Amino acid sequence: MDLVEMPDPLKEIVKSVLVERRADGVLGLRAYEGGIIQPYVFEAPGRVEALVTEPKWLLAKTAMSILRSSREGYRLAVISRGCDERALTELVKRNQIEKGRLLTIGIACSAEQASVCLCERPYPENLAAGEPVAGVDPFQDKAVQELLTGDGPARMEKWAKLLKRCIKCYGCRNSCPICVCTPCKLEDEVWVERGVIPAEMMAFHLIRAFHLADTCVACKACQEACPVNIPLFALQISMREALKTTYGYEAGLDPERRSPLLYDLYKEPGKGRVLPDWINTLGKDNES
Amino acid sequence: MNPEFVRTICPYCGTGCGVILRVEGGIVVGTYPDKGHPVSRGTLCIKGWTAHEFIHNPDRLTTPLLRRGDRFEEIPWEEAISLAAEKLAALAERYGGDAVGGLCSAKCTNEENYLFQKLMRTAFRTNNVDHCARLCHAPTAAGMAQTTGSGAMTNSIGDLAGAECILIVGSNAAESHPIIMGEIYKGADRGASLIVVDPRRTTVARNADIHLRINPGTDIPLLCGMMRHIVDVGLHDRAFIQERMDGFAEFKAFLHTWPVEKASRECGIGADEIRRVAEIYGQVKDAAIVYCMGITQHACGTANVQAICDLAMLCGHIGKAHSGVYPLRGQNNVQGSCDMGGLPNVYPGYQNVSDPAVQEKFQKAWGRELSPRPGLTVTEMIGAAGKEIRALYIMAENPAVSDPDVRHVLEGLAKLDFLIVQDIFLTETARCAHLVLPAACFAEKTGTYTNTERRFQLLCKAVDPPGEAKGDFEILCLLAKALGLDFSYRHPSEVMEEIAALAPAYGGISFDRLAPAGLQWPCPEPGHPGTPFLHERTFTRGRGLFVVPSYTPPYEKPDEEFPYYLSTGRMFAHYHTGTMTRRSPFLNRELAEPYAEINPEDARGAGIVAGDRIRITSRRGAIVTTARITDWVDKGCIFAPFHFTEARANILTNPVVDPICKIPEFKVCAVKMEKEGHEKQER
Repeated sequence: MDLVEMPDPLKEIVKSVLVERRADGVLGLRAYEGGIIQPYVFEAPGRVEALVTEPKWLLAKTAMSILRSSREGYRLAVISRGCDERALTELVKRNQIEKGRLLTIGIACSAEQASVCLCERPYPENLAAGEPVAGVDPFQDKAVQELLTGDGPARMEKWAKLLKRCIKCYGCRNSCPICVCTPCKLEDEVWVERGVIPAEMMAFHLIRAFHLADTCVACKACQEACPVNIPLFALQISMREALKTTYGYEAGLDPERRSPLLYDLYKEPGKGRVLPDWINTLGKDNES
Repeated sequence: MNPEFVRTICPYCGTGCGVILRVEGGIVVGTYPDKGHPVSRGTLCIKGWTAHEFIHNPDRLTTPLLRRGDRFEEIPWEEAISLAAEKLAALAERYGGDAVGGLCSAKCTNEENYLFQKLMRTAFRTNNVDHCARLCHAPTAAGMAQTTGSGAMTNSIGDLAGAECILIVGSNAAESHPIIMGEIYKGADRGASLIVVDPRRTTVARNADIHLRINPGTDIPLLCGMMRHIVDVGLHDRAFIQERMDGFAEFKAFLHTWPVEKASRECGIGADEIRRVAEIYGQVKDAAIVYCMGITQHACGTANVQAICDLAMLCGHIGKAHSGVYPLRGQNNVQGSCDMGGLPNVYPGYQNVSDPAVQEKFQKAWGRELSPRPGLTVTEMIGAAGKEIRALYIMAENPAVSDPDVRHVLEGLAKLDFLIVQDIFLTETARCAHLVLPAACFAEKTGTYTNTERRFQLLCKAVDPPGEAKGDFEILCLLAKALGLDFSYRHPSEVMEEIAALAPAYGGISFDRLAPAGLQWPCPEPGHPGTPFLHERTFTRGRGLFVVPSYTPPYEKPDEEFPYYLSTGRMFAHYHTGTMTRRSPFLNRELAEPYAEINPEDARGAGIVAGDRIRITSRRGAIVTTARITDWVDKGCIFAPFHFTEARANILTNPVVDPICKIPEFKVCAVKMEKEGHEKQER
């Protein structure tokens, strides 16, 4: 039986981007015969029929590396979920991607995906296709609450137990769309002892988390890439929340506004000079 | 420019994780995890993330090399192939086909291994085909086949997340099979008890609920003590035993010779602790046993595996989801290289070479007369080198680093009339060769790999081999043709068709069925969905069999001259003989030098501090390495990883073998240690 397919608005948009030469290629996911799905740069409009949007597969970092190695002037469009768009915005802000060479084609996530990701903004600012669904408050999640609230020493013990599993695959760093420093502090022997696991909690995990304090877009890629299921997402969201409540700042939203941690703290709201509550999140009995 | 993404399989361990290679202009520039892969689901370990880093290394072999005196000379392929064929044929003619031996490879595809053993068996009428599976899971094949009828992991990796008790014996999965460890942690997070048996305080042990730090090589006493207690308190599964098992009466009588207190004295674990662990394993509904080289690499390796199976069968923890026995296979395709008949006693699909009906079937299919005599094993071939064995053809194996007592291995290789080594780098073994053939690596060929859970998966070509290097498939076809065989395969999928026709367990496997998730054998016919777990209603052998494991303590025990136990193994950043990982810049930055772990008390006694150069000596040789002082090893024990050619741990290891499956006792030997240049410093 032949099914007459309705024209898919996203595919139509992608085709027109290519036909009108607004981009030389569109980075998205392609379905192959047999059910294989993998990233693909669509350059021929005829191939676009094979475009799919599931599973969730962050493409921002791949987009960055494609743009870095492609010929001068090559313009790339990226099929972007909300988190991908925010990550790309951050990469542009931090001069990792040339703004004029990037176009985003925003898609909305499903309600199911939003609840898996505990995503506050499961949609991009520039939405091209799909219906946006409501965000989820990660701090209402029971597992997150257990990791971030309650008795300090007990929480410390819980985190120590989880972080002790680290096998130092560097997957959290590799998969993070905005973890782009070279050289990377985690590869510096001054901070992180080489050739042994687990990676040390303070030196490895907290350096990594704090380096992303004002850039993390809450995409959860770090946690999804962790082979030993360390809840890395929960390490980041407290800092995101602190920036939000203290400075009204959220990474990846406003392309023009720079991070308050980098840029002119004095012009930011006065609360910045007061120690916020979250500083104490790991408990006062740290010395024990 | 259109950057390509090629979905394929990681070339390192037997987990078989999905990787996506990013290719630009014929160069692999990156590795990403495959989000859609059924096992790894978007995660990779440190080696997987860097799997592309050795592919374009300038050390890659690019032309055939012929030894002239003490140097190698580049020669054209035509000359190399005709020389190889001439030499092998002449030696087989002169000394008989059994004078030729071949090592196939757990790094090569199923199709290449199939062709390799077919070539050896048909061209020379010999069964002298073996490979490094002998050195890792030969006891699994032997022990599990005897008890259950199938020498493969009974369940699927994903099953571990649903077990209520996971008993890990002699496996440091967190470093050696990290993605499988993730499933184990998922189980633990859902409440499973994680019990680890290991003389070392490994990464796995440090993350366990209970760590039983047994004396080296005393797994059987511990397991027998546990089983004795299980029977004593009636925790064994009587219905399961009655319905599905043979040999219980004799086995029960045997357990009477292992009172818990006796087991306790032998293995060094308190009797109450043995009882507690036995009760945890015996009481839960679904329990899994994961094991690895700590069980197999002993002179009683086969008996160790039998004892593991006995325990699982005693409690009925087999033949259903979330339970079973999980031997973790080491190489990416070691399951497949065994499945394809890369062993001296079986054809593809574990069909016995000495069974006349089987021989008849393969003679008819292959159109040649075949030998009914089982061939020699790896260690036997190398032992017989220059004597019964005159020529060896080694495809992607590195016995000069991986085999026990490597000085003896090098002596053996030097005595051969002709040695062909086919590899991607000039390995320590290739340096001994008369003829070196440059091959393709995982990213440069198409075929199938079978992972540790029996899953056939597609390997997809991403780039061309460097220079004139060729895929092993193509080399084997050329050599076969030069030897007068008809290997007119145009594509590996045609080889898979032949395999499916000859080995019933893989009868339903074909390339077009392997996307996206692969297929787990047994998969006997084209519509079959594959088998996530074995032995569901009946065992492969019909009824399960309790086998009395015969315990032999480690062959070498510490004495006055050699006062320490040495065990060898892997560490997280490197892989096996280091041919690939040590050429990866990222992995080399993580760890560039060999080391040995020494207990703080022993170090104090010997006047050694962290970072000292130390000499470790066994009855077979000595290595110089760097001391790491850590209580991860017990007092009186030393651990050395075997990845490092400049300090080959296998110079020290004991070549004594298991009487049944011939695996050497890598895990235990006696050594002494001293500070390098110690005497000089004292003066």
